[in-house]
Amino acid sequence: MDETLEIDTVVRRPKKNRKKKKQPITWRLIKNQRQLIWMSVPLMLYIILFAYVPVWGWTMAFQNYKPAKSFGEQEWVGLKQFKFLFTDDNFIRVLRNTLAMGVINLILGFVTAIVLALLLNEIKKVFWKRTVQTISYLPHFLSWIIVTGIVATSLSINDGIVNIVLMKLHLIKEPILWLSEGKYFWGIVGASHVWKEVGWNTIIYLAAIASIDPALYEAAEIDGANRYKKMMYVTLPGIKATIVILMIMSIGHVLEAGFEVQYLLGNGLVVDWAETIDIFVLKYGLAQGNYSLATAGGIFKTVVSVTLLLMANGISKRLGEERLL
Amino acid sequence: MADNRQISPGHRAGFTAKKNLGTGRLEPFLFTSFNTVFMVCLVIVTLYPFINTIAVSFNEGNDTIRGGIYLWPRQWTVQNYKAIFATGTIFDAFLVSVARTVISTLLNIFLTTMLAYTLSRREYVFRKFITVVFVLTMYFSAGLIPNYFLIKDLNLLNSFWVYIIPSMISAFNMIVIRTYIGTIPESLMESARIDGAGDFKIFMRVVFPLCKPVLATIALFVAVGAWNAWFDAFIYTSSKQHLSTLQYELMKLLSSTMNSNGNPNVSNGVGMDQDSARAMVTPLSIRAAITVVASVPILLVYPFMQKYFVVGLNVGSVKE
Amino acid sequence: MGGKLKVTYKYSLIALLSLSFTLSGCGGNNAATTGKAKEPASTESASANTGGKIEPFKVSAFIGVAGQQPTPDNKIYKKIKEETGASFDMEFLAGDINQKLGVMIAGQDYPDLMTGSTKLTAAGAYIPLEDLIEEHAPNLKAHYADYWNMMKDPNDGHIYILPNYGVYNGKVNSSWYSGPAFWIQKAVLKEFNYPKVKTLDQYFDLIEQYKAKYPKIDGSPTIGFEILNYDWKNWGLFNAPQHLIGHPNDGGVVVKDGVAEVFANKDYAKKYYQKLNEMNEKGIIDKETFVQNYDQYMAKLSSGTVLGMFDQHWNFNAAEDSLTTQNKIERTYVGLPLVYEESTKDHYRDLAVLNLNNGFGISINAKDPVKIIKLLDTLIQEDWQKLFSWGVEGEDYIVENGRFMRTQEQRDNAADATWQLGNKAKSLFEYLPKTEGSYSDGNSTDAAAQPEEYKAGLKPFDKEVLDAYGFNSYVDFFSEPPANPVYYPAWSIDLIEGSDAKIANTKLNELQTKFLPKAILAKPAEFDSVWADYTGQIEKANVKAYEDKINEQIKWRIENWSK
Repeated sequence: MDETLEIDTVVRRPKKNRKKKKQPITWRLIKNQRQLIWMSVPLMLYIILFAYVPVWGWTMAFQNYKPAKSFGEQEWVGLKQFKFLFTDDNFIRVLRNTLAMGVINLILGFVTAIVLALLLNEIKKVFWKRTVQTISYLPHFLSWIIVTGIVATSLSINDGIVNIVLMKLHLIKEPILWLSEGKYFWGIVGASHVWKEVGWNTIIYLAAIASIDPALYEAAEIDGANRYKKMMYVTLPGIKATIVILMIMSIGHVLEAGFEVQYLLGNGLVVDWAETIDIFVLKYGLAQGNYSLATAGGIFKTVVSVTLLLMANGISKRLGEERLL
Repeated sequence: MADNRQISPGHRAGFTAKKNLGTGRLEPFLFTSFNTVFMVCLVIVTLYPFINTIAVSFNEGNDTIRGGIYLWPRQWTVQNYKAIFATGTIFDAFLVSVARTVISTLLNIFLTTMLAYTLSRREYVFRKFITVVFVLTMYFSAGLIPNYFLIKDLNLLNSFWVYIIPSMISAFNMIVIRTYIGTIPESLMESARIDGAGDFKIFMRVVFPLCKPVLATIALFVAVGAWNAWFDAFIYTSSKQHLSTLQYELMKLLSSTMNSNGNPNVSNGVGMDQDSARAMVTPLSIRAAITVVASVPILLVYPFMQKYFVVGLNVGSVKE
Repeated sequence: MGGKLKVTYKYSLIALLSLSFTLSGCGGNNAATTGKAKEPASTESASANTGGKIEPFKVSAFIGVAGQQPTPDNKIYKKIKEETGASFDMEFLAGDINQKLGVMIAGQDYPDLMTGSTKLTAAGAYIPLEDLIEEHAPNLKAHYADYWNMMKDPNDGHIYILPNYGVYNGKVNSSWYSGPAFWIQKAVLKEFNYPKVKTLDQYFDLIEQYKAKYPKIDGSPTIGFEILNYDWKNWGLFNAPQHLIGHPNDGGVVVKDGVAEVFANKDYAKKYYQKLNEMNEKGIIDKETFVQNYDQYMAKLSSGTVLGMFDQHWNFNAAEDSLTTQNKIERTYVGLPLVYEESTKDHYRDLAVLNLNNGFGISINAKDPVKIIKLLDTLIQEDWQKLFSWGVEGEDYIVENGRFMRTQEQRDNAADATWQLGNKAKSLFEYLPKTEGSYSDGNSTDAAAQPEEYKAGLKPFDKEVLDAYGFNSYVDFFSEPPANPVYYPAWSIDLIEGSDAKIANTKLNELQTKFLPKAILAKPAEFDSVWADYTGQIEKANVKAYEDKINEQIKWRIENWSK
């Protein structure tokens, strides 16, 4: 029954279009669609120019690139940069950290943003709803250096708020030196991300919720649905398309676990948990003037990202959900 | 109102069947209490860093080093703000930032929505191809130097348009809008088509107006992104003072008061007198003041857009 | 095919064609197309200011560190413009230098003057200066006469950059030590009646006793010792061992008889870390020391509860300023040049060295290098140097009996960053060639080093401490530095970007950051096994490449720098 609701309200595409899927491209068709073409092809050329044309620069990954030399004078080194990347002792660990923190950020980010959006939606007074929402995304505007500064102070064993609260609640007997233990590090990074971004991430879901037809709620109310049921059977299905699409896109970004937080919160004691691919590439690439290694790192990440993206899209397609491509 | 009539019967049954599980008045009360407590906690936790930043920004710089500033400055001063506004460049930079933000937002909204509309048309022959072309751009970057060459070859170096042209469309935003357009009833577009409207007209007259809630969101994303951007000013226009943006000026101010250039050789203190050493304070208070100056203007934009999506747009009523 | 469609296709074709042009344009010879980039018209065609007529010209400059634009009516720049015709168009760095230099080099987009960078030198971005100086710049020639050979680039023997610091003249007054030392609170020395502290053991002994006696300072727990290792500020953890055996700061190596060795894994390093391990067991070392960031470290120091640390003075000077404002002079610090054995002579303080690869170089894009070198030649003259350093006589300093002094107001001004924007040419002077030490009239080139100025700033408590030791200033705690070895210092050796030596150095730093805290925090019984693990890892890293590079350059310097 939920099925019906969803198809009718969300994916309201007429079935007849599905049949046209495999139609051959004919002049007639192109002529019919000339407006669509005019509206999109120039934009495609634009993006090709700005995003794809510079990709010639990927050749750097196979060179010992020196910016002072012209393209013809560069020294070609084959897969040397990739070898350096993949054979380093730290590479596996760095990859593990990146994936772990990427996945934690992904899941935590999604769950918290959706839950918060649903809960915000339950606030009846518009004024309060707006106020709470506005406040909740304020941390998005603070730089990581400020946020990590506050995180580090809060986790301190000298009057850090986290330890004080936990002690008062008798959850721990003595203050914990949070940032000295690798096992807490991923969690701390994940929590910091949630803290900084949850309000911001909520915006998009609130917009999706806002576009749900109020008549559906009215109908549900007439049927005697309670708050929980309206959430489950109206709101969630109403934003499902958005959730699925955002999820697919984010899965492709799972390697973008970042470097700023880890760099700012990390230290010698947790370095085995803190170092990400980006930090590694910065240290041995850019900081060494080795643009080639940085490019090789970028290519590696792109390959992984696109693979993950296609997988996620394929799975979603199999499950009959919304898909990206 | 065809759509509404369709859903009602089936669901009425579904809800009624589970109705008895509701537990009268206690449940809503419990939920509201829980929700209120939760929201209060959330507000405290997310408001704190900002209040703290404001407090630090009004605290005397030298005193801030001691730490322990939480909600209120210990030694009140407006010196940090004075220091920011003392650099005469900040007002011009503010105007450049406003200009780039406004132009970028308008252009982005229009072009991205137009593209999203075409890619939402299932019958469109290049739909899949163009979608792939755009989606992939989210997952790779050519790298700094090739991009620099492109900008240089296009004669965009040291030009205002370098802030606008390379970022007129974001694939992410396009997908979000496309997903949204997918929820607009096809019947609306169909009737326009029957009236003889072409795709462009349908887009302008039917789809664009209906997209308001999602466009408010996207406008916010674009505006905040354009406002906060500093890297393009750093790489492409840094030798032209009159093109500098607010964020980049603040960035310069921040790093000039902070010894962020990690060269351990300098750490030997070669030729360093005490006055220079004094200038190398981590400028916690200046940094805080900069954050406030940089973020308050853009924060003021949000409440204006909020009405479009918190109140919600009644798709059903538009249909009638 | 309908007419309209045809048109559409024509346009698409044109669009595609233009696209492919751009493509080929990018892939082609970039250096050739970009070499003649439209630089801002820099040095206009005016000839040198002969015959008293001053023709205005613009010099564009890239400063490789962050800085602030001076105000448009800055009095120093105004004066330069009036008297030499030159006005500066300065660009400061805010962001990552490697990224900025990457695009500057790739696009060959250089302004007239650029601060020193080995990357730019390697890219051939500077012009050789020897001949220019010989022909057009007699003052610069005299200024650098004793240092001429040292300024030459090790790779091709040309002079590209004019070092901004390290050229001394006359008596060098030094009353403020900015370098590394073991620091101890003045209150601790006072408590034990101003003892002479020479060795590491004596030092920790005092700290231990003091901490036992005063477990709390102003209500907060007393912290015995801090070790800062945050981001690039790693010397607090890394650098002490070389000093403890009586060597000066050579960075990551100790040079014995002209041969450099990495000391991070040597026994004399182990001795230090073992001592720290022992101290940690006794609770002397701050529990949080290895997880704190710089701000937290500074907060602790400025709370007055930290008894000691190893650091460079300039790095925590702000905390001392804060303590002074809080009227806690007794909680500020004295630097001690500690060694392992009483018999070892300390060598913390060194004679200043030439600041290689820093200062300005003239770029290959500069239209009129002669004019620029003449300008630099003018600005090295003493009148200009006084203007840059002390300011305008009567406004920024006063002269009494030929001695330069400042009133309190003038001192406050000099330390005020906002005031500086309108009244100092700080960011320019920082990189210009400059006279250090004393002027020909005997006044100090640095206001803070002028003995009268120093004495005026001394607090009564400081006088008490200094009197107890019979010293004139805190610098006297350190031994008078011997003459520098020819090669000195090894830390200024350019390891060359991306070379094995540089990678090995990065690896070494990584291992130190990871293992040293572990070793210090380990149970004393486990210290040896952690240490073995650590040295084992260092064995595996290619530190030899790093040592070899240093030794090769030391040899080169000895051959070329010897007078």
